[in-house]
Amino acid sequence: MISCKSLSKNFQIHIKRPGISGALRAFVTREYRDVSAVKSFDLDIPSGEIVGFLGPNGAGKTTLIKMLTGIIVPSSGSAIVLGYEPFARAVEFRKQIALVMGQKSQLWWDIPAYDSFLLLKSYYEISTSDFNQRLNELTELLNVQHLLQTHVRRLSLGERMKMELIACLLHQPKVIFLDEPTIGLDLVAQTAIRDFITRYHALYGCTVVLTSHYMADVEALCSRIVLILDGAKRFDGSIESFEGLLGNEKYISLTFDKEARDSNPIWEELRAEWNEQGTRVDLRIPETRLPELLGTLLQNYPVSDINTEKLPIEKVMRTLLDKPEMLKS
Amino acid sequence: MSVLVLEARKWAQTMSIAFSDRLAYKFDFVLYVLGPSIVFFFIKYNLWVSIYSYQTESVIKGYDLGMMLQYQAWILIVSFLAQGHTSLQLAEDIRLGRISSYLLYPFSFWQYHTAAFFSLQVIQIFVATVSLMVLVLAGLLPVNLDLLIQGVFFSLLVGLLWFAFQFTIGLLAFWLEETWVLRVMLMLVAQFLSGAIIPLELYPDWLRSLLLYTPFPYLAYIPVKIFMGEYDASYLQTLLILIFWIGAVFMLARFVWRRGLRLYSAAGM
Repeated sequence: MISCKSLSKNFQIHIKRPGISGALRAFVTREYRDVSAVKSFDLDIPSGEIVGFLGPNGAGKTTLIKMLTGIIVPSSGSAIVLGYEPFARAVEFRKQIALVMGQKSQLWWDIPAYDSFLLLKSYYEISTSDFNQRLNELTELLNVQHLLQTHVRRLSLGERMKMELIACLLHQPKVIFLDEPTIGLDLVAQTAIRDFITRYHALYGCTVVLTSHYMADVEALCSRIVLILDGAKRFDGSIESFEGLLGNEKYISLTFDKEARDSNPIWEELRAEWNEQGTRVDLRIPETRLPELLGTLLQNYPVSDINTEKLPIEKVMRTLLDKPEMLKS
Repeated sequence: MSVLVLEARKWAQTMSIAFSDRLAYKFDFVLYVLGPSIVFFFIKYNLWVSIYSYQTESVIKGYDLGMMLQYQAWILIVSFLAQGHTSLQLAEDIRLGRISSYLLYPFSFWQYHTAAFFSLQVIQIFVATVSLMVLVLAGLLPVNLDLLIQGVFFSLLVGLLWFAFQFTIGLLAFWLEETWVLRVMLMLVAQFLSGAIIPLELYPDWLRSLLLYTPFPYLAYIPVKIFMGEYDASYLQTLLILIFWIGAVFMLARFVWRRGLRLYSAAGM
């Protein structure tokens, strides 16, 4: 469905020096800096999968999506989506894909969403009966029937995002790219969007590529994670294997009655992260040594509360971003 | 359903949405469409009235006061029919990266903006008609149906030329952060060189004949002369030259668009 081989993208970024002299100099000789945004990327996504692209800001997620949708041309390598080269931008290709950008609205700001939908109906050559049926279904799933005639600029961010989703799904695309669809939304709206994507996917089995900074999105939706750091793919696999990436450690947090921080070497060994006052500590304990170590700690320190959980994906993510070298092993 | 019908529907729907988009802020719209042209007309009206009142001779280069005011009144009509469009929206779409959405729709960016231009023209024709009626009733303009049809047809084609100019300048947003200054410059230069402020007869002969080799007089002077029944050259020939210019500027726009898109898709901006 989607496949790319050693896909790369380099940008030439024009260096602007500060001040008037810098501006004048730029007029005569322009200086450029090469930035490689995506580095030799290999990817294969089968039909019907939901894949999450993870990575910090500027890692190259959006660049990758822009290449896969044909908005920008790769510097080298190949990409095939639905049998097409995206950047040839064949009309038939464009009719089968959709892109939602959480940060950019595709709807016309000053008119009701319904009018925009009518426009898309004609662009995608959707028959009136299909259009009505799909619109009914989508508005019902998202619970926005009553907002169709409201000017888009008067909608809340969450409501607008729902409309954006409808706009991109009216033509029943086979591949959907969602670039941070829940950015800036409150928890209720985030959950609503997430549930909707799950249900929609279950109904139609489309292929979905999603980027998000909210791990909850990824955990709820994606069966597969692709971690992108600095333009390169650093991990590609299931959520479970991602969570196990840092070893089978338990993530334990202890709260004490009074300051418990001391020079005991055990803290170092368990990679302790203390709070300001030294009354709370986060530890990572190998599963096999858990009973023994926990017993020692409970005996020797005034523990008032224990919290234990599997290392959450968010923690894994943060750890990897801090220490990307951990991935190499 | 035939391809043609589906295609026509896309254009019609785009025109309709551009129409409602433009009329979303009605007051703003009235100021934007009517304001500049009408204010400009009254300034020129008063200017020429006072110039003629200080003048010992009552005729300047073949224009008496009545003719001069008639000239300016036709300029107003032509500006409504032909020069309403600006590429502000287009430049914004590029600068803010909204162009990405258009690259995904199976309806192109240029098609969208051309359809939006057509929908604006519908409004402009309405405004021009009302203004014409007012000016005729005020006794400023005579009516000659033959000339009127010729002039309106010519002016609508001039609208295409103006659109092509604006489109090209708007596309420069691919390279420039702000094209507002360029648009104002185009407007000012066009005002002077097209004869919208002063009839070209008042310019030195060499300048006037030089200008007739450029597209500028086609924006104002020539259509006004056609409305007034004073244009000597053959209508058909003038029309062909105008069409040549429209073609030439559209080719330029196409060239700029391709370069810009290549830059955009290469740089992602």
